[in-house]
Amino acid sequence: MLRFDNVTRTYGTRVAVDCLNLHVNRGELFALLGHNGAGKTTTIKMLVGLLRPTSGEIHVGPFNVVEHPREVSRLIGYVPDLPFLYDKLSGREFLRFVADMYGMTDAAAVEAVAREADRFQLNDFLDQLTESYSHGMRQRTVFAAALLHEPELLVVDEPMVGLDPHSIRLVKDLLKNYAEAGKTVLMSTHTLEVAEAICDRVGVMKSGKIMFEGRVEEMRQLNPAAGQSLESLYLAMMDG
Amino acid sequence: MNERTPPTDAQLIELCSKLPSPDREGQIFWRLRMQMARTHLKFLLSSARLRTGLVVGLSFFFWCGLFALFYKGFDFVIRYVESPGSRYHSDTMLFVFPLFFLSLQVMLIFSSGIILYGGLYPSRETAFLMTLPVRDERLVFYRFQEALLFSSWGFFLLASPMLLAYGMVAKAPWYYFAYLLPLMASFAYIPCTIGAILCLLLIYRLPSMRRIAVGVVALAIIVVAYQSIWKTLEFSETEFLGNSWFKDTLKRFRFARGEWLPSSWLSNALIEAVRRSQNNPRDLPWLEAGKYLVVLVSNALVLHLLFVWLGKRVFRPSYWELHARRAKKPKLTLAWVDRLAGFLLKPFPVQTRLLIMKDLRLFRRDPVQWSQFLIFFGLLLLYFANVDRFRQHKSDINVLTWVNIVSFLNLAVVGLILSTFTTRFIYPLISLEGRRFWILSRLPVDRDTILWGKFLFAACGSWLPCAALVGISDVMLDVSFMVVAVHQLICLLLCLGLAGMAVGFGAMMPNFREQSPSKIAAGFGGTLNLVLSALYIMAVVLMTALPCHFFLLAGKTEMPPKLLQPQYLRFWLMLGILASMILAAIVTILPLRGGLRAFRRLEV
Repeated sequence: MLRFDNVTRTYGTRVAVDCLNLHVNRGELFALLGHNGAGKTTTIKMLVGLLRPTSGEIHVGPFNVVEHPREVSRLIGYVPDLPFLYDKLSGREFLRFVADMYGMTDAAAVEAVAREADRFQLNDFLDQLTESYSHGMRQRTVFAAALLHEPELLVVDEPMVGLDPHSIRLVKDLLKNYAEAGKTVLMSTHTLEVAEAICDRVGVMKSGKIMFEGRVEEMRQLNPAAGQSLESLYLAMMDG
Repeated sequence: MNERTPPTDAQLIELCSKLPSPDREGQIFWRLRMQMARTHLKFLLSSARLRTGLVVGLSFFFWCGLFALFYKGFDFVIRYVESPGSRYHSDTMLFVFPLFFLSLQVMLIFSSGIILYGGLYPSRETAFLMTLPVRDERLVFYRFQEALLFSSWGFFLLASPMLLAYGMVAKAPWYYFAYLLPLMASFAYIPCTIGAILCLLLIYRLPSMRRIAVGVVALAIIVVAYQSIWKTLEFSETEFLGNSWFKDTLKRFRFARGEWLPSSWLSNALIEAVRRSQNNPRDLPWLEAGKYLVVLVSNALVLHLLFVWLGKRVFRPSYWELHARRAKKPKLTLAWVDRLAGFLLKPFPVQTRLLIMKDLRLFRRDPVQWSQFLIFFGLLLLYFANVDRFRQHKSDINVLTWVNIVSFLNLAVVGLILSTFTTRFIYPLISLEGRRFWILSRLPVDRDTILWGKFLFAACGSWLPCAALVGISDVMLDVSFMVVAVHQLICLLLCLGLAGMAVGFGAMMPNFREQSPSKIAAGFGGTLNLVLSALYIMAVVLMTALPCHFFLLAGKTEMPPKLLQPQYLRFWLMLGILASMILAAIVTILPLRGGLRAFRRLEV
């Protein structure tokens, strides 16, 4: 479903992503891990069309992200680390705008908004202006917007930041179920417990390079002395 | 979620073919804009009545003032030059209109380009829309509509009273008034689109040099304009406004009448539309004016097509290019300004000094703040430096009267500009501290010290540039020592009063929910501060200007009322100064006291 082929991105002389090769299959939940500045967000920004790779190619399904940004956007649902909402719209108006942009019919849009409002428990505040929302409410609304068109690939940058325990559980279940339903999920996170609990595979990035790509079990086999948890394995890999 | 068979590539391609058509996309964005506008309007009418009323009222007042000014001006031209349709009238108006519209054209190019850049490239909304299946040309056009509105409202505010006044004075036929709106709209669209196209091309080709390129072009235009104006005014007194002066000036500004300029098309359309047919069946002014309108509209449409085409081709690559540059991380060291401020602030207690230094650093590292300060005070400096024409006839009582009036008006202007700065930058200071108040509240600093620090920062920081500006104005006008002393005293009173009000009201009416200083300043408290500041300035300047004026004229002209006789004038002057000092003490102390009380009780 998702393919990075020799992708490099530089900022001036600094290499943010260095010759990245990564394949994520349909029905897979993949987590990108790494310290701040490792290149996770740059990788995601290239995928969603906010940056162009300096070299290499990214494909989502049959589409190249640089040549067909509009088609790729249709297949992707994106939840950024800093959610954007129109302050002067209500949550419902915002969701309706996003649904319309994905070409949904009126009936389908109404149904999709109701479905996601139920799933993310937005009904209590959906008709209020978004300027009055807390961070958690904003994050849940953005999640709902990203899922309205049931994207083939869900891309999530730091999904757990600012969420309360209840919402964290909600998001964890959602991501897991989404991948189990045959869709693809790519997320970047610092929350290693969550990654360990729900991800099929993880990719550990350092200085723009993928240092490890595979299942957590494979990581344990690679360094049996480091411990059992993803946290200890990850820290050992970073220190090594 | 139910498991399902994964879609094939063909199915994915089919899925993407159901995205909205260009027309449908336009409708969706139109609905978005309408929804936001409706909500904003509701907010303005329910929660920001004072500000809305003030903006509408002042705009109307400004519009009426301009209309009256232009009406008088055109009445003079028609009365002393000739009526529409005659050669001299056309020559005169074809000097005034093209120059006026050419200046606005250049400003519209810059403003629309700069506003479009701000709305398109560093905007979070753009980044959000880029992740949706929105056509690039739609996204660019959506942001351009905002740039068009924000850059051209000033043009409509200036041009509409002028052109209406011209039509009414010239007793123009009905079609002149019918043409006005389409003429102005199509004209405004052209420079705005040019600015937008230049913005896209500049970011596409020279993303790292965008600021330098805009700065160099702006500087070149200012130099040319300044030189042209200087040459026009440098004639000797005998030649000034004479026959050769007019001829030379017409010749110098001939470039503004170039046939290829939209400003010339608009001017010619107006000249044609205002005249009546000379009993010649082949002379059809409405048709001639209509031809110019067609030229304007067709050019606007061609530029629109070019802009949309460029948006599709250039926007995304230019966005990528701009955001792929390495962010500059300047090394922050102790600047000479800090050292100088540290030296000047030595008399103050250490804690107050440190708080002032902190605010000074935040101010100088935020270009939005000091650049506006620099632009407004720079323009005033430019004006004050050229205000010396009155010096040559100081013996004439009329000139002496004007010198005195202008010197006090200059003082009032400095105060009014300072009041906008204290409202925009000082008033929100306490509100902005709210989010980081935990830092200050954990320090062993008395809350009163924090507020006094802000007051001293505002008062001392504004007094130096204001006193210098007023001093330059007085030197250029060559006013007497007594007037200089009065001006400097009033300037000090203004700085203290305006700083006291901004800090005091800011502490009494903080807004901790808002992070943007401009939005905090635009709230009720900020608007109230601005209105009271303006009233205070007018009161203080009037209380000293009038006695000072009569005092200067005493003995040089007749002073009929008994109480305006010379023996009373010194008393009136002293009374005016004393009243100003009392008023300054009231507007400084009362808001500050209220602010201190509110700040002590504040829970964040």
